[in-house]
Amino acid sequence: MAELEDNTVFQQDDHRAAYIFSAPSSEDQHHHDASSSAARPTKRRRVSSKKDGSKSRQQTAAAAEETAATRSAFTPLFNSESPEAVRLRAESFETAWPVLDARIQHVLREANRNTLDEVTSFIRNAEAETTQIPAGIIITGPNIASQDLLFEQLADTLCKATQARFVRLRSAEAPNLKAALKKIIKDARASGRDDDDDTDDDDETGLSVCKNGRKYLNYDLETLHVALDVNESPRVIVAFQDSEAFDSGLLTDLIALFHSWHDRIRFSVLFGIATSVQLFQARLLKSTARYLYGAQFDVVQAGSVLESVFKSAVAGSQALVRLGPSLLRNLVERQQDQVAGIQVFISSLKYAYMCHFYANPLSMFLTADGHVDRQLLQSEHIQAVRTLGSFKAHVEAAVEARQLNHAQSLLNDDSYLVDQILKQGQRRQDHVMRLLRSLHLITAMGILSTPFTDLYISALAEGISLSSDMFAVVDPIKRLGPDGIISLIRRLVSAIEAGSPELDLPGWESKADELIASLGEIRNEVESLVERTKDNRNPLKSKYGAHSKVLRTTVVAQKVQLSRDTATLTDEDNAFTKAINSLMDILSQHIHCDPAESLFLHEAWLYDSKSPYRDVFIPRLATTFGRALTRPHDYLGCACCGNAGGAVASTLPTTAILYHLYLEAGALINVADLWSAYYASVGDESELGLDERTALVHFYEGLAELRMMGFVRQSKKKADHVAKLKWL
Amino acid sequence: MRNSLFQLPDELVLTSLAQAFPCRSFQLRSLATLLHPDAAPCQNVVLYGTEATGKSAITVALLARLEASEDDGSPDGDLRLRFAIVNSVECITSRHLFESVVGKVAKALRWHGPSSSRCENVSQLTVELSKMLKYAPRPDGFRFVLVFDGIDRQREATPTLLPALARLAEIIPCITSVFIVTSPPASFLHTAFAPHVHFPNYTKTEFVAIVAAGGPPLEAPALPNTTPEEGADLWARFAAAVHDALARAATRTLPAFRHACDALWPRFTTPVVAGTRGAREFSKLLIAARAHFQDECLLDPGIIVAARPPSAAPAPSTPIPSGSNSITPQTSSKPHTSDLAALLPTTARLLLLAAYLASHNATRHDLVLFSTHHHGRRRRRGGLSVSVGRGAGPGRSKHRKIARKLLGAHAFVLERMLAIFAAVRGEWDGRYASREWGGLVDGMDADIGMAMATLASLRLLVRVGGLASASGGDAMDRGGKWRVNVGWEMIRALGRSMGVEVEEWLIE
Repeated sequence: MAELEDNTVFQQDDHRAAYIFSAPSSEDQHHHDASSSAARPTKRRRVSSKKDGSKSRQQTAAAAEETAATRSAFTPLFNSESPEAVRLRAESFETAWPVLDARIQHVLREANRNTLDEVTSFIRNAEAETTQIPAGIIITGPNIASQDLLFEQLADTLCKATQARFVRLRSAEAPNLKAALKKIIKDARASGRDDDDDTDDDDETGLSVCKNGRKYLNYDLETLHVALDVNESPRVIVAFQDSEAFDSGLLTDLIALFHSWHDRIRFSVLFGIATSVQLFQARLLKSTARYLYGAQFDVVQAGSVLESVFKSAVAGSQALVRLGPSLLRNLVERQQDQVAGIQVFISSLKYAYMCHFYANPLSMFLTADGHVDRQLLQSEHIQAVRTLGSFKAHVEAAVEARQLNHAQSLLNDDSYLVDQILKQGQRRQDHVMRLLRSLHLITAMGILSTPFTDLYISALAEGISLSSDMFAVVDPIKRLGPDGIISLIRRLVSAIEAGSPELDLPGWESKADELIASLGEIRNEVESLVERTKDNRNPLKSKYGAHSKVLRTTVVAQKVQLSRDTATLTDEDNAFTKAINSLMDILSQHIHCDPAESLFLHEAWLYDSKSPYRDVFIPRLATTFGRALTRPHDYLGCACCGNAGGAVASTLPTTAILYHLYLEAGALINVADLWSAYYASVGDESELGLDERTALVHFYEGLAELRMMGFVRQSKKKADHVAKLKWL
Repeated sequence: MRNSLFQLPDELVLTSLAQAFPCRSFQLRSLATLLHPDAAPCQNVVLYGTEATGKSAITVALLARLEASEDDGSPDGDLRLRFAIVNSVECITSRHLFESVVGKVAKALRWHGPSSSRCENVSQLTVELSKMLKYAPRPDGFRFVLVFDGIDRQREATPTLLPALARLAEIIPCITSVFIVTSPPASFLHTAFAPHVHFPNYTKTEFVAIVAAGGPPLEAPALPNTTPEEGADLWARFAAAVHDALARAATRTLPAFRHACDALWPRFTTPVVAGTRGAREFSKLLIAARAHFQDECLLDPGIIVAARPPSAAPAPSTPIPSGSNSITPQTSSKPHTSDLAALLPTTARLLLLAAYLASHNATRHDLVLFSTHHHGRRRRRGGLSVSVGRGAGPGRSKHRKIARKLLGAHAFVLERMLAIFAAVRGEWDGRYASREWGGLVDGMDADIGMAMATLASLRLLVRVGGLASASGGDAMDRGGKWRVNVGWEMIRALGRSMGVEVEEWLIE
């Protein structure tokens, strides 16, 4: 019951822009405590019996169900949105995201495949070649957190391929040798296929009993040896996920230990390395490094992974919500500038989806099948559509095009507007298709070296036209020779036929008969021209080719004059030039797309707000603290200090007053001065008029809070002073 | 069976062992005498010598052979010699050592009696061992040899551990404890007398004889037009040459020497394999391979031994095969992965540079370097011009200063580094200023915190001071002290990758 109450509170406060804090009453407080203690199972010393485990599993399952129930309960917008519409939005989110998520996971898994194969074959073969410990050194790049998937896959693949036990170690889990060994033994025993637990862990004594009746210490590798002895010379692969973060002494100890056990348990090690092998090697002792038989492996560069994920999840035709250009640019730049792995990109995507469906009532038009029930549309929806910027632009365009009836009906006739709205689903899909096909054709030309992400973003923002700077393919195409033109046409045609599996774009040759036919005509013509000029001494050239301009030097009166002459063109050359011109016409006719924001009702499917994303993923703690302390009234909503503005008022909370004084002080603050300044503002002379004892209590509280928030620290340089810690 | 008081072990055993371990027959015989129940068994034996001189291997082999030679096929298996070997490298704590001893002794004796659950100190060890060795019926003249291999490297060893172990034999008379150590201090066992057997490092003749006996590496190509005798002769002379070139100065252990020989042999014999030289022309071969003998990377082989699988080189940069997309010029120019600049994103690089500046500039120069107060533009003073001016003057200062960048990094307060970061960021990061939300840095955002945490986890930045080692220290505590952990060369390359000459920002 307490949890239920909590949830309602949570929902009410969840969508407000600012949260006004009100201290809970004592009864509330009691419920709160009860619920929090119920939600978190009491800390147990050890997981000894299975009953406990199953109970906690039940708890988590129940919790998961509960969260599922609460998550689907989107808040009604407009203050009066019908429950069906709310449910529709929730459902569209829940159908749209898993599709994308599956695709992203697929892409990520595929990206690691090469590395996996190399590592597997190395581990399998290394043993025959050496008596040292095989060590696969995987250069993962600085974002270790995003390599979890890689190691998960490695565990799967290597277990299957080599029948080895796989143990993943993270530096946080293995602070010292004993803990690392305990983890290795525990995981290696658990990861095997036979799960008959014939041993009994006993954490109290630190012993574990094996089936032969002997008791072993739980960090004794003998335990592992005995447990794995069923198959001769067992293999164990230990993966150090973030090798840099491990203490180098610990690594050295572990490697020496593995080497010493190598004749009984065949150990292999994998190191995930962020910087370089040289730096890693410099941290190991030379005598330890001698035990290792290493090979270096690279994973796919983060940039190309980003591009694949981008293609399938952002640009791909399956993406329901289109992210707007400025948000996308932010996301991509963050990937390049900051230490943010691909996982951050994916969760940002998901967050954008959530925000769109949660907060935009018009997102109900965006169902997966493109069909919206007319009954669900309320007058609020129609009203909202009429306030949109794109509606205004659309009506204005209609007026300019002298479609006055259309414009008038849009403004006055609700059912006409609904008709128009319902048509937009198809328009959206057409637009996306045109965008993707144009982009696909442009990349298929192979002329631009701009990354796909940039192309896509600028296509969204400014539309595609062959004359723009971003898509400067016109001049390079014109300069192509006949062979280049023929192969270009061939590439285009095959691109149309094949589509793009990455973008989830099927081939569309049935819809592009005209284009294919005219491309074929041009190709035939160029081929026949080439055939005709084959015997000629001069190869076929066009007006635009590099050879058509000839630089001439003439010496007139001892001065050199340069002049450009156009080389004479034969009839065939002229025909070729004409063919190029017609090719350019066809291409600019078919490769074309409007910017997304020019479409009517794009607000329903285009999400382009940056601030929720920034607030969630790049929080600025210092700024937030500073603002809250400077203007506490905005958060507390009390009546007393509303007119204080940003200045000090005696009614402000003590900490806020102290913060103001703190900002005015130097590096070292005399506490006595601070106190007198504080007392001057709240003491007898002020309007508040606290007596000295109360003020002193408040002062101590406030100073302690400042210290807890990390603003000041006890100074050793001077007695009775505190040091200012935060400057930025 | 015993017909005299003193009898050396079977000569046959010793001869065959001496063949297996050449140049160690003296040590072998001393050890056999000290361990064999019929010869002169003593309570404690200390074997010492440097790394890879055959201490452990000879002990194990000798004990195994002695035990086997005692085995006369009697069914009850009551041999007069048993042994157990405990390797201290494998023992994490002293408790682990004791329990390993108990476990291995029980295993060696095939003891099935009750065993207690824990054995935490030497007293308990004595009790356990007495149960098995002292009170159980044993044949006459029974010896149990307990070998502590590398006991001087035991972790968590108390100072009393070794003397206590040495006194085991006083309580349990049938035990012989063998301590294998690198170099024992004088009377480290605190007992009256323990025979020491020294395993000295091999001399040149011994080295060459051992390696020559081993023969050339198996995987090396066979030499054409060469008789086996010629080949063996060449190998021996080659080994002597390698010893003179490398082993005398640097690789002083047998495995390293052997490794050097194995690595050099294919290069050395290339002319013979190619047929341009005969196997008898040793000096000519030596001159041809002179460069290889001077190569020092043999002495320090890296951990990367295996060649990369060739299939990895043309790795497609797009994982999903995309029909016509492969024509597009892929940006597959892989950056060299060992390059730090290519690995780290912009913010992390800037932070690292700022940390370097904070570590290597004195605090009093910060105002000169980073303030824009008077000049509008920052005054940078290159370290170079300053040092030249000082060096040229006639009144040269008495003590020469070492360039600050050559000294170790100093610790700095996190806040100072962030201030430097904020000061240089706008100037160094071209894109930062043009960014929409750019402009003034108001506080740290989470991205900077993340970059700091990443650098710290990569140990490029390290936290110093008392709080760092204890778990209590908060990584983002503004009062904490940090130090940069990257050298000058790498920082210079990093700076240049961003178009910054770090030298200009350093003040001597």
